Amino acid sequence: MDSALTEISEFVQAIPPLDLLPSKLIEQIVKEISICYVRRGKQLPPQGISDKNIYILRKGALSYVTQDNELLGKYGEGDICTVFCLDNDEKINVSTDEDTLLYSICYKTFEQLVSEYPDVIAFFHQTSEQRLNKKMLQVNEDAILNSSLLNSSIANFYHSPVVTVGPNTSIQQAAILMTERGFSCLVIAQDTNPLGIVTDKDIRRRCVAQGLDILQPVSAIMTDNMTTIDIKNTAYDALMMMTQKHIHHLPVTANNQLKGMVTVTDLMNNEGQNAVNITSVIHKAKSVSELTEISKMIPKLQIRMAKLGTTADHVGKSISAITMAFTIRLIEMAENLLGPAPVPYAWLAAGSQARQEQFAHSDQDNALIISNDMQPQHSYWFKDLATFVSDGLAACGFIYCPGEVMATNAKWCQTQAQWSKYFAKWIDTPDPKALMHCSVFFDLTTVHGDSCLLDEVRMKMLKTTQRSTLFIAHLSRNALNLRPPLGFFRDFVLIQDGENKATLDLKHNGIAPIVDLARIYALSEGIASVNTIERLQQAAGTPSLTKASAANLIDAYEFLSMLRMEHQAKKLQQGEQPNNYLPPKEISKLEREHLKDAFKVIKTMQDSRQSTL
Amino acid sequence: MLNHHPLTRWILGYEAQRKRMLKKAPHGPLRDFLAVPFPALNTPFEQIPILAVDFETTGLDAVADKLLSVGCVDLFHHQIKLGSSYHEIINSKGRLKADNVTIHQITDDQKDQGKPLAEVVEQLLNRLAGKVMLVHFSRIERQFLRQACLELYGMAPPLPIIDTLVVAKKRLDKRDVAYDPSELRLSALRANYGFPDHYAHNALNDAIATAELLLAQVNERGESMTLRQLIL
Repeated sequence: MDSALTEISEFVQAIPPLDLLPSKLIEQIVKEISICYVRRGKQLPPQGISDKNIYILRKGALSYVTQDNELLGKYGEGDICTVFCLDNDEKINVSTDEDTLLYSICYKTFEQLVSEYPDVIAFFHQTSEQRLNKKMLQVNEDAILNSSLLNSSIANFYHSPVVTVGPNTSIQQAAILMTERGFSCLVIAQDTNPLGIVTDKDIRRRCVAQGLDILQPVSAIMTDNMTTIDIKNTAYDALMMMTQKHIHHLPVTANNQLKGMVTVTDLMNNEGQNAVNITSVIHKAKSVSELTEISKMIPKLQIRMAKLGTTADHVGKSISAITMAFTIRLIEMAENLLGPAPVPYAWLAAGSQARQEQFAHSDQDNALIISNDMQPQHSYWFKDLATFVSDGLAACGFIYCPGEVMATNAKWCQTQAQWSKYFAKWIDTPDPKALMHCSVFFDLTTVHGDSCLLDEVRMKMLKTTQRSTLFIAHLSRNALNLRPPLGFFRDFVLIQDGENKATLDLKHNGIAPIVDLARIYALSEGIASVNTIERLQQAAGTPSLTKASAANLIDAYEFLSMLRMEHQAKKLQQGEQPNNYLPPKEISKLEREHLKDAFKVIKTMQDSRQSTL
Repeated sequence: MLNHHPLTRWILGYEAQRKRMLKKAPHGPLRDFLAVPFPALNTPFEQIPILAVDFETTGLDAVADKLLSVGCVDLFHHQIKLGSSYHEIINSKGRLKADNVTIHQITDDQKDQGKPLAEVVEQLLNRLAGKVMLVHFSRIERQFLRQACLELYGMAPPLPIIDTLVVAKKRLDKRDVAYDPSELRLSALRANYGFPDHYAHNALNDAIATAELLLAQVNERGESMTLRQLIL
C-alpha cells in the first residue's frame, strides 16, 4: 500500500472500535475517506455533504449540543463523531470549536464494509445502555474465566475419599448413605474399579419419576462410562469439562485410580476462600495486636482479588465481611473484659460497610442501638465497649470517622426509642444537616447483637418514608447535586458547563450518584436492603424504577466500581494510599467510551428523578 | 502589463492554447488530455476540479534528472477524495545516487519494479484532463511533466496550475513584513495551520498534504474565491 495512505490507515486503525478490524478492511475504509477542513465556529456537516456521515477528527475540536444549547459532549483528535449516523429523536447540533481537519466517511458505505463485524456496527448503532450492558456481560464472563482456576491444579480442590458403593447396593441404601454423609453424589465401584456415578438427580429422574422399586440395585440408575478428569489438569479444565457436559460432579483420577471428587460449588467458592480463611483466622485471634497483624492482609487480598478479575461486588462483600469479623471479634474481647451487657443492644455498621461495598482503608462508620430498658448508669458500659472496639478497629487500619459517625459519639450511642425519634425528625424536617445524615444512617446494618432492635426501627422508618413525598423530594434534590461529567475531551474530564477537569473522581462523579439513587428508590418503595445492587434489583419493576432502568444502573454501577477497584489495586500495589481519582491519561480510549455510556445512564436517571420534583 | 490585457489572455490563455494544440496533437494520451476543456477563470473554488500532484525526482534539472515517482489525489467540492489517490514509481534508466535515496526513500530495487514512464504519464494526463493541477512550488512538477511530454509526444501541453507556495507568498508579501524563505516550505505552512506532521517525500503523501494546505488557505479567506484569484 502507498505509504501516504499507510499513515492515515495507522491513524484510523488505532481508534476503537476500528481497532477490531483487519488491515485489509481498514485499507478499504480509508479509500472511502473524504478529507474536509472546517474553520472554527462553523456548523457540521461541512458544505457539500448531505449524506449521513461519520467524522473522524484528525485535528481540531467539535462540540455537540441539544437544540436548547445544552452541551452534550466534545470530540477531539482521534474521536469519531457519530452524531449524524444515529437516528436521534432529538436534533443535535455539531459545530467546530477550532479549525478542524476531518476524515468524513459515508455511514451507509461504512456499514456495508464492516457488515461482518457486529461489534463494530454495535458501537455506531447501539445506545449507551446497550453498549454498557454488553461490556458488563463480558466482564462478568471474564471474571469467571480469568479467575485463579486457570492457575490452580485440581489437586487443590477435590475432596477425598469419595464415597463408593458396590453395584448391588439398593437405591434406597445409596440414598440413605448420601443423606447421612451430606453428599449429592456417589461413585459405584467394583472393588477399586469405578463403574459409574449416581447423583440426586438420577434418583429423582430415573427412580422416583419412573416409579422404579427403591430396592433395585443402584447400578440400574447410575450413569456408566462416566466422565473423569486426571488430577494433573487445572481447575479451569475441570470447570470447562463440567460446563460442556452439563454435569456438576467430576470424579478425579490419578493413574486411572479414583482419587476424589470435585463439584461446581468447590470451584465457584474458590474466590471466596481467602476471605473465608482470613475470617476464620480473625475468630481465633486472642489479642488486638494479633488482629492488627491479620489486618495487614486486607490490601493484599484486595489486590489479589482485583487481579483475578473478581467482580467489584464480590470484593466489596468480602472486604465488608472481613471488617465485620474484626468488629465482632473486638466486641467479644470487650465483653470478656467488661462482663456481659447490662441490657440487650446491637452494634451497627453504617455507610459503605453496611452496604457491603467497602474497600481496604475505609473509615469506620458505626453506631450502637440499645434496648429501651437502658438505665443512665449503663451508659458507662456502652462507652467502654465503643471505645475498645473503635480503638481496636483503628489499630487494624480502619481510621476514625472524620465526621464522628462512631459508637463512641454519645449522639450515635442511643436507645431504640431515641433512634426512632432521630429518623422521625430527619424525615419530618429534612434540613441540609438531616439530609447529610441520611446517606450514612439510612444505610445501616446489624453487625453484632440483637438484630430485632434495628429491624423494628427500620420498619417504622420505611413506612414513614414511603408516605413522605416531601422527604423523598428533598432527598432527591440533594442527590442531584452530584452530577456525572459529560465525558472526556482530549486528556481532560469534560463537565457540565463545558469546563475541563484534570482527574475523574470515580466516587463522587459516578458511584455515589448511583448509590444515592438506589437509596431513594428503596426508601420510596419500603425496601429494607441497603446494598446498592440489591436495592436496585428489588426496586426494579416498582413505580419508582423500571426493570430496564434498574438493569442499566446496575451495569453502570458495576462498571464504575470495577474501574475503582482496579485503580485502587494499582495504588495499593505501588504502596500508595488508594483513592478514587483517576487521571484521564490512565484511562484507555475504550474505557472512556464505556465511562461516557455509564455517565449517560446516570444522567438519564437523574433527569427522570428531576422531573418528578 | 500586456499579459493582463483581455485580448492577450485570449490568445495566450491556457484554454486558447489547449484548443490550438488540440488541432496539432497526435492521437493518443496527449490528444485525449487536450480534448477536455479546462474550467473557466470565474469558476468558484468549490466547483474547480483540482488534481493535487507531487513528483519525486533524482534532482532539480528536468533534462538531466529523472522522474522517480508520481502521486496525485482529487480535490473537489472542498473534499479530498482518498479513493481517487494514485501513486506510482517509475522505472527510469540509470542508477540512483545514494544521497538522493535518503531523501525520497525509493531504492534501486523498487525503481526497477516500477512502471515505464510512458504508462505513468498517460495515467497522470488521464486524471489531469479538464482539471487544474495543484502543486507546492510548481517549478519541478511543471518542468518535469513538460519534459516527459516532449520526450513522449513531441510537444508539451498548457497546464493551469495552483501553487500553494505562491498563494502563501502573495499573502506574506501583502503583509509587507520580512520573512524567511523557509517559512514557505510545505511543512512550515502546514504547521502554521496546526496540521499534523506528515511523512514527507512520498509523492502521494505530499500531494494530500498540499491539498489539505490549500483547503486551509481558501477557508482562511472566509469569502468564496474563484479560479482567477488562485491560478498561477
